[in-house]
Amino acid sequence: MNMHSHLEGHLPADHRLSPHWQFSNLPLIGRVLTDYPVNDLWETDFARLPRALAKQRRRARTFAEQHIMPAADELDLSAHLPAGECHPTAHRILCEAGKQGWLSYFMPAPLGSMPWGTVPHAPIWQCSLIVEEFSRACGGLMLLLSAHHLGAMPLLLSGSVNNLLRYLAPVYRSCERGEPHLIAFAITEPGAGSDVEEGHGAEIYRPGVVATPTEGGYVLNGRKCYISGGDLAKTATVFAALQGEGMDSWTCFYVDCSAPGYKVARTELKMGMRASGAAEIELTNVFVPTDRIIGGLRNGWVLNRATLNASRIPVASMGVGFARAATETAVEFARHYKVGGKALIHYQDVQLHLATMVAETRAIRSMVWQEAKAAWRPRQLNSSLCKFHATDRAQRVCEMAMDLLADHGGKHENRLEKIFRDVRLTRIFEGTNQINRLSMIEDWQAQLLDFNHSVGV
Amino acid sequence: MFSCLPWSLPRLIFVPPVQALAEGFQVDWAPLMYMDTEDSKQLLNEVRRFARERIAGMAARPESPINADQLTLLTQEACELGILPLATADDGFSIWEHSNVAQAMSFNTGALRHIAYASPGVAFAWHRLALARFVCVQLGLAFETNVQQGMLLVPTGHYGLARNSLGKWLKAHALSAEDKDMLSDWLDRSVNATTIYAPKDWKSLVWPVWSDDQIAWRYVERKELDVSSGNAQHGFDELAGFAVRQPSTAGKAIKLDPDASRSTYASMFKLDVLGLLSIGAGALDRGQALARDYAGIRKQGGKVIAEHPAVQHMLSDIEIARHNVDMALAAFSQPVDELDVGTIAAARASLSPALCQAANQVVQVHGGIGYMRDAGPEKLVRDQNMLKLIAGGTREIHAFLAGWTGASV
Repeated sequence: MNMHSHLEGHLPADHRLSPHWQFSNLPLIGRVLTDYPVNDLWETDFARLPRALAKQRRRARTFAEQHIMPAADELDLSAHLPAGECHPTAHRILCEAGKQGWLSYFMPAPLGSMPWGTVPHAPIWQCSLIVEEFSRACGGLMLLLSAHHLGAMPLLLSGSVNNLLRYLAPVYRSCERGEPHLIAFAITEPGAGSDVEEGHGAEIYRPGVVATPTEGGYVLNGRKCYISGGDLAKTATVFAALQGEGMDSWTCFYVDCSAPGYKVARTELKMGMRASGAAEIELTNVFVPTDRIIGGLRNGWVLNRATLNASRIPVASMGVGFARAATETAVEFARHYKVGGKALIHYQDVQLHLATMVAETRAIRSMVWQEAKAAWRPRQLNSSLCKFHATDRAQRVCEMAMDLLADHGGKHENRLEKIFRDVRLTRIFEGTNQINRLSMIEDWQAQLLDFNHSVGV
Repeated sequence: MFSCLPWSLPRLIFVPPVQALAEGFQVDWAPLMYMDTEDSKQLLNEVRRFARERIAGMAARPESPINADQLTLLTQEACELGILPLATADDGFSIWEHSNVAQAMSFNTGALRHIAYASPGVAFAWHRLALARFVCVQLGLAFETNVQQGMLLVPTGHYGLARNSLGKWLKAHALSAEDKDMLSDWLDRSVNATTIYAPKDWKSLVWPVWSDDQIAWRYVERKELDVSSGNAQHGFDELAGFAVRQPSTAGKAIKLDPDASRSTYASMFKLDVLGLLSIGAGALDRGQALARDYAGIRKQGGKVIAEHPAVQHMLSDIEIARHNVDMALAAFSQPVDELDVGTIAAARASLSPALCQAANQVVQVHGGIGYMRDAGPEKLVRDQNMLKLIAGGTREIHAFLAGWTGASV
């Protein structure tokens, strides 16, 4: 930075009343307590991470900038493909992502690609860091690469070594060879979005996908909808009720998507995140052998909720990625776009606007990291709270960015309109933000109803 | 073809000019001054019928927006019906043709609202087309129907609202050299590209320019402009986005005396904002209907979601926004000269974000299906966002108001 340069309304660095540059002139103890480096904000947070996680974060950023960001527009603007078809660019990125370990990072080598240095930290933290970087580059491709981990989560959370060795490890190995094997997570049904994410609703809901016992296993019938990545998945963790029983019989079945009777009926025309398909799946007498029941009969509801508890923090991190992308875009616009002969960044109201956006973005990142750091056993209250608040605020930041660009904010070329379309989904999936608020309260009941103690917040 | 043609309406008030002239009809505008609420309601009912039958019919599938040919056809039909103005010399009762009678203002905003219910993008295109005609009449420019139908109005400069300076100029506060530089830059059409959203086949535009310390106007044909098309924009799928520069002093310049310059721009500015709010209100009406319908049939937890307080809260958010925009539009149904620029700008600053929020609640009520392009709600969010962003956006209204109220003088 040139010591003489300054924004309008602020003093140059070499001015006697400009504090920062005077700190270095204080005596040693004063200097130690006051003088600080003026680092890039991303680098500042980077430096606060454990070394192994920081390294993953930088790797993710590099991958996102080299592979995801350049493809974002092409995939967002390309025509809607028939169900089951993969855009060549998306396929290329999937292969490369697999080779680089971005589809297998929930287990360390030799089973997966998680760096051993990150093993001492909650895997959700690592995942959140990666998701932020990918979201910043393209929401659709981020989802294409991340929904796979959601699909794999029941296998992990089932706690069965057999499931890990027999099912997940081969998937990871295939991805690392550059032959992407995606897993989809299938809970939502045409008659039930929130009902499969909230116990009170589930108690009354009549299940749409039913598993009927047959020799050697079960046959599944019914429909699942809005399944992210369900169009390209090779396997899916499908949740179904047992015949004649309610949602408390929900069971997780690890389904081979090439099995007879498994059909991707259609993919949705989505507002955003268009690089990732949301599929409607028809299940017609799909046979699933008994050994592909994950977590045991009637344990599906528990696995589902545990999966959501784990996944909602990375969803919150998507919000951080979008808010960051929007803020960075707005900052660049303000630095370069001139009004009345000077760049917007020189105007005080623009500075106030940007300051709020940066603060909002960093506030939700702090919240995500705080929750993710402790997410070895992610609590429903914390993950739900994190999800709804971060994504609500992230959309607000995106709106502020568009407001700053005003007439230019609606132009696709300026990126923000796509970021807005992408962030909008985060307030809906993994439970609408209304359901997440109720989910938080549901998990807080014990404290709220214990009148022998005051409630801490 | 159109059983909905308003021939049954009081002819002295609402006679399509071409038809009237063909019949040798003499239009007497005096009754307009006495037009009552019932007359206005009848006219609006016909607009509503046209919007619901013709426009909504073509816009029935939100993922397949009205295309350029369909928009041209609809525009011609709207002109024939008298909803949109014809040649500047002709008289009628089309949108923005009359703005100095309260009932006419009520008709203008009501008509745009009905059209926006069917398609906010079409309503926006027609609003700007009609406003271009309004400005031409104010400037004494005469054009035939075919020219008028392809003309756009660009109401603002390349970015925002010229901060404090436009408000100061409109209020006739003394301008500093910095203000003049700001306005000159804001309306410089050669250096910075102006972003416009319009039908693909627009032919000409009229836009304000800065000349001799006043806002003058320039009429320019498209072929004289440097026009580049963009990728698909955020909303208004029926239209296209363009970056437009004027490489030379091409076109026809119209200068007015200072008072006329100020009053013409102020009138246009007020009508533009009222148009945008009316379109937003129409889109909100549509969203509210969608949300109510869905909440009444979709079940969760064993009962329709309309019975859940979480959904009721969102439906009420939508209702509150509708109530607020209703009140504002009712309050602004006055002769345009009696409306205060600052009040209207302030209304936009508060209502536009509320309309966007309401549209978002429509999506949220729908859950996953609200995000899908074939359902409708997500398009309303994008269109409301566009209404907030265009015409300088809403962020700079605070600076504008500081100039208007004298806070920055």
